[in-house]
Amino acid sequence: MSPLAHTIAVRASGVDIFFGTLENQVVALQQADFEARRGELIMLVGPSGCGKTTLLSVIAGTLTPQAGTVEVFGQRLDGLGQEELTAFRRKHLGFVFQSFNLIPTLSVIENVMVPLLIQGRPYDEAHARSLAIIDKVGLKGREDGRPNALSGGQQQRVAIARALVHEPPLLICDEPTSALDKDTGGHIMELVRDLSRSPERCVVVVSHDHRIFRFADRIAEMEDGRISRVVDDPKLLDATHL
Amino acid sequence: MYRLALNMLFGDRAKLAMLLCGLAFSALLMAQQSSVFFGIMSWTYTPMVNIRAQVWVSDPMVEQVNDAKPLRDTDLGRVRSVDGVAWAAPLHTSFVQARMQDGNFKLITLVGIDADTFAGAPAILTQGRIEDLRLPDTVIVDEWGAALMGRMTVGPDGKPRSMPLKVGDTFEVNDIQARIVGICKVRRAFTGGPFVYTTYDRAKGYTLGARRTLSFMLVEPQKGVTPAELCDRIERGTGLKAWTSDTVIWNWGERSLARNTFWWFWTNTGIPFSFGTAVLLGLFVGIAISGQTFYSFVLENLKYFAAIKAMGAGMGVIARMLFVQAFTAGLIGFGLGAGMAQGIGRAMIEKGMPPFVMYPQILWATFVLVLGISFVSAIIGIIKVSRVDAASVFRG
Ligand SMILES: Nc1ncnc2c1ncn2[C@@H]1O[C@H](COP(=O)(O)OP(=O)(O)OP(=O)(O)O)[C@@H](O)[C@H]1O
Ligand SMILES: [Mg+2]
Repeated sequence: MSPLAHTIAVRASGVDIFFGTLENQVVALQQADFEARRGELIMLVGPSGCGKTTLLSVIAGTLTPQAGTVEVFGQRLDGLGQEELTAFRRKHLGFVFQSFNLIPTLSVIENVMVPLLIQGRPYDEAHARSLAIIDKVGLKGREDGRPNALSGGQQQRVAIARALVHEPPLLICDEPTSALDKDTGGHIMELVRDLSRSPERCVVVVSHDHRIFRFADRIAEMEDGRISRVVDDPKLLDATHL
Repeated sequence: MYRLALNMLFGDRAKLAMLLCGLAFSALLMAQQSSVFFGIMSWTYTPMVNIRAQVWVSDPMVEQVNDAKPLRDTDLGRVRSVDGVAWAAPLHTSFVQARMQDGNFKLITLVGIDADTFAGAPAILTQGRIEDLRLPDTVIVDEWGAALMGRMTVGPDGKPRSMPLKVGDTFEVNDIQARIVGICKVRRAFTGGPFVYTTYDRAKGYTLGARRTLSFMLVEPQKGVTPAELCDRIERGTGLKAWTSDTVIWNWGERSLARNTFWWFWTNTGIPFSFGTAVLLGLFVGIAISGQTFYSFVLENLKYFAAIKAMGAGMGVIARMLFVQAFTAGLIGFGLGAGMAQGIGRAMIEKGMPPFVMYPQILWATFVLVLGISFVSAIIGIIKVSRVDAASVFRG
C-alpha cells in the first residue's frame, strides 16, 4: 500500500450514471473520477446539470452507479445491497441539505437526535450528545424551540449539528449556503471548514456559490458528467470566475 | 425513534384533529349503529325477558317466541308428568283488538298467565297488586301501553294531549269488559302493541272463538335439574319442543328460544341488512377520512421520511414509525368514538327510545375495525415512503 492510500478518504473511478429509458436517456455521469483526502474540505463546482448532485449521491451511497468503483474510508460501495448501503450511511455519513430538511413538527434537539436514534442509541444518551453539539454550533438555549422559529443561518446550524452528532467520517453538503445571505453563509462555511480539520474526517461540498470557494482546500470542477479539472489553490479559481 | 414518531404526529395539531375526527366518527357510527341494531333485535325476544321462566315448552314447529302455535290443554298434563318438573304453568299470548271507551280500536298483546302460580307475571308493578287479577274482569296494563291507549283530551293550555289510562279505567275486548287494576313496567317488544296481562282462563274468554289457547308452557325444574337437562327430558318424553330462557344470543351450546328468535329475525327480515349498511358506511367513512388524512400527513412529511431514509434508517424502522403513528391515532380515535357512542347510548336509554344494547363484543369489534383502518392507512403510507428513493433528498 502506498503512503498515499492512507490519505485518501473517497475515491470514485470510472463512474457512469444514466437516467431514463433507452430512447430518452440522460447521461448524468460519464467515466467520472473523483478523489477526496482525509482532513480536507473539497468543493465540487460546475454549471447547472453537470452532475454534481449525482456524484454526491454516488459517494453518499444513495445512488448505485451502472459502472465504476466507489470507495469511502476503505469501504467499497459498489456491489453493496440496499440494506448494507443503508447501514453504511447510518455509520459513516452526515448530510447537510440546501433546504435544511429539518422536521418542522419536532423540536431543534429532537431533529439533532435523529441520527443517533436511527443507530439505536438510548434516548437519554442521544439527548445529552445532541445538547453538547447544539452548544458547539452556538445554539445553546434554542434546543427546545421549533426549527421554524430560527433564522435560515440558525436552521442550517441545526442541520450541521444533526449531520455531525454521530461523528461520521464523511460529511456531505449539497449547496449548504445557497439559501443564506453572504455573511451567514460565510459563518456556516467557517464552521464546516473547522470541522474538516481531522484526519478522521472529510468534507465534500457541492456549491454554485463562488463567494464561499475560498473556504475550500481544493476545488474539483465538473463539466458534462465528469471532473474536468482539480484546482489546488482556490484563489486561482476565484480569479477565473470573477 | 418511536417517541419522535409520536411527536411528529402530535406536532401537527390540525392534521391530528382531522385524523382523530375521522377515526372517532367511524368508531361512533359503527358502535352506535351496532348497539341500536342489537337493541332493536333484543326487542324481538322481549317476552323472554318480561316473562321470567326457566324453561319454555312449545309446539315442535315453533321457531320463535312471537309465533306461537297453540298446544293442546292435555299437553300440560304430559309435561307435568315428566321427571324433574317442579311445576308447569300455561301461558297464552295473542294479538287482539281492544275497544277503547271513546270507540277507538287498539291492537294489544294479550298475555294470559296462570292464576295459581302467576308464572310469567311482570316483575315490576308501579300500581296495584298482581293478586288483584283474581278479581273478575281485571287486567294489568304496562306503563308505555297505558300511555299509548290513553284518550286524547285538551290540556289547560288548549293543546291536545293524551291522558294515559289509569287504575280503574276500562275498555273492552270482544265485548267483554276489562278493568285496569294495576300498571306494570315491562320491556318493549318489537312486534305487537301494549302488553295487557290477565289470567289464563280469562284470556280464553277474551279470545272467544279460539279453540286452542295454550301458546307456551312455563316450566320450573326441580332442584338439582338444570334447564338444559330438563329440556332434553321433556323433548324425549313428550315430543314437544323445550327451550331454555337464556338470552345471551352468542351462547351456541344452549337451546335458547331468545337466540332462535334473534336469528329468525336476522334471516327473515331486512333489519340486519339496513344496519349492516350503516356499519359498513362507518367503516368506509373511517377508511376514507382517516386513510386520506393519514396519507396527506405522510405526503407532507415525505421529504423528511426520505431524509431519515438517506441518513440510514431502514424501511423496517420507518414502517414501525408509521405504525406507531397510525395505531396511536387509532387508539385515541376509538376512545373518543366509543366514549361518544356510550354517552349517546346512555342518553337514549334514559329517553327509552330507541333501544341500545352495547355488548362488550361490539366494542371489541369496533376496536378491531378501527385498528384495521389504522393498519390500512399505515400500509398506504409505508408503500408511499418505500417508493421514494433516498437520493431524492438532494433535489429541491
Ligand atoms: N432522478 C433523475 N432522473 C432523470 N434525470 C436526472 C435525475 N437526476 C438528475 N438527472 C439529470 O442528470 C443531470 C445531472 O443532474 P445533477 O442534479 O447531478 O446536476 P447538478 O450539477 O447538481 O445541477 P444543479 O447545479 O442544477 O443542482 C441533469 O441533466 C439532470 O437533469
Ligand atoms: Mg445539484
